[in-house]
Amino acid sequence: MASGTLPIPAIQALQVVTVAAAAPGVSGVIAKVEARLQGRRGPRILQPYYDLAKLCRKEALAPEGASWFFLAAPLVAVTCYLTVPLLIPVLTSYPLPLGYMGDILGGGFILALASFVVAVAALETGSPYAQMGSSRAKTFGAIAEPVVLFVVFTVALVTGTDLPYALAATVRSSAGQIVRPAHLLATAALFMVILYETGRIPVETHTGTNEFGMIEEARPFEHSGPYFALLKWGSAMKQLILFTILLNVFVAPWGLAATARPGDVVLAIAALVGKAIALGVVIAVIDNSFAKLRLFKITEFAAGAFLLAVLGVFTLYLGGG
Amino acid sequence: MATAWTGLAAHVTAPPAVPSVFGGGANVVAVLVLLLEFGMFRQTLLRDQIRLYAAQSAAVSVLAVIVATAKNVPELYVLAALSAALKVVIVPLVMRRVLRGAGEEIAESGTLGVASLGRGGGAGASTLLLAIAVGAFGFFTVGTLGIAGVTLPETALGLAMAVVLVAFVLMIVRRDVVSQAIGFFSLENGISLAALVIAAHMPLILEVAFLFDLLVAVVVFGVLIRVHHGRGQSLSTAELTRLRG
Repeated sequence: MASGTLPIPAIQALQVVTVAAAAPGVSGVIAKVEARLQGRRGPRILQPYYDLAKLCRKEALAPEGASWFFLAAPLVAVTCYLTVPLLIPVLTSYPLPLGYMGDILGGGFILALASFVVAVAALETGSPYAQMGSSRAKTFGAIAEPVVLFVVFTVALVTGTDLPYALAATVRSSAGQIVRPAHLLATAALFMVILYETGRIPVETHTGTNEFGMIEEARPFEHSGPYFALLKWGSAMKQLILFTILLNVFVAPWGLAATARPGDVVLAIAALVGKAIALGVVIAVIDNSFAKLRLFKITEFAAGAFLLAVLGVFTLYLGGG
Repeated sequence: MATAWTGLAAHVTAPPAVPSVFGGGANVVAVLVLLLEFGMFRQTLLRDQIRLYAAQSAAVSVLAVIVATAKNVPELYVLAALSAALKVVIVPLVMRRVLRGAGEEIAESGTLGVASLGRGGGAGASTLLLAIAVGAFGFFTVGTLGIAGVTLPETALGLAMAVVLVAFVLMIVRRDVVSQAIGFFSLENGISLAALVIAAHMPLILEVAFLFDLLVAVVVFGVLIRVHHGRGQSLSTAELTRLRG
């Protein structure tokens, strides 16, 4: 190992730590921007961290009749969210050793597992709102999942492999790769899936207290104390992971560290947080400029994303995409 | 480090060639035309449907300008200006006037809209899937023909065919005169797109003649809509059953 470089396993660990540590902050910035756009002062940017700290000091309760799974679910979900950053380019443009454990599809499976576990835990509670939220999440997820599959197919056709690192390198390679319709369509479809997955406005009111419109937000209703903190932290991490996939693989795979020098890695962390905040601002603007869709219109939103992803694959087939 | 994944990539199929920036950009505009067609397909408000038609026509004109610049076909500038004037300004104006006379805003419920989750006038998820399937059929049919365009990549021709077929589905699924007229006009947009791919060097006089055809269609449709609305006090074609054998 040359002097002045970080060991590769340390960078690998740093990817996870970056996502875990920065996720609540990114959520805080989005909440702040959203509030400013609505003419409110809004909470402190660090508020999500204080919330997590407060929840961790509180007592944990489980509903009567809930099994051990109810308490295990938040731990499993957070473990899943901590695994995914190993697979995707968070900080480096070169693949790290564990990056070969799984491709984009593998990352998608792990995210789906986390969501499944939370949904099962919500069913355990017997609380109507939590059950409604998980049932809705699974119903619409059945339409959102094929979109992700088609995005992966697009990536596979463009690069010949479906490793996220390969696509990021392909996007960086030439301007022709960026303007090709397949890339733009897949990116747009993925963005719509992210709006759906993070519970943003065309799909779900993020901060509301109206249970009838809730999907993702309703699921941890019965969790409390440290377990609730884990779920909240997990959903913040999921948001940052999805942002990272969109930014570092599809939209802007620049600013990643090309070496293992500490300076480059620190710059990469700053670039990632900066890019995530920029994307968060875009999403906050979308949040404030559209109305929430009616529940039965969400399928049309997902069908729109599906159309984009399918068109992406089609255009590749005649060689021009 | 980069060799690590290129070595891995060697095991799978080689990626297709990258299109040039011109080809990619032109294809993006062609894809936009198709997406706007799908937008018209699910738009319920007639006024917004007309607006989407204007946007689609603008996209076709932009594509003509791109081809004119990149492939040095100066006649296409004239064509782009004429078609923009006609299809982005005049046709939407005429349709909007017709609509104002009719006083209806929302499209009649589609024939297939019931089965889908999205009720109301627009197309729901299932009709959207049907349109995707029909569009895909057109797309891949063109692929098997193996027609290579001179000016634009082959993909744009496939997309043009998809636009035509989706416009057909739009006309079949909708049950109101305005949507059907808009479907017909946007079908013409698809044909213009195909003409740009195969026959960009077509004599200008022919292209202008096609535009006049469209103008005639607009007049005929305008009269039809007015007569139909005058008789039945609605834009719906659901009552047109008297001539059924």
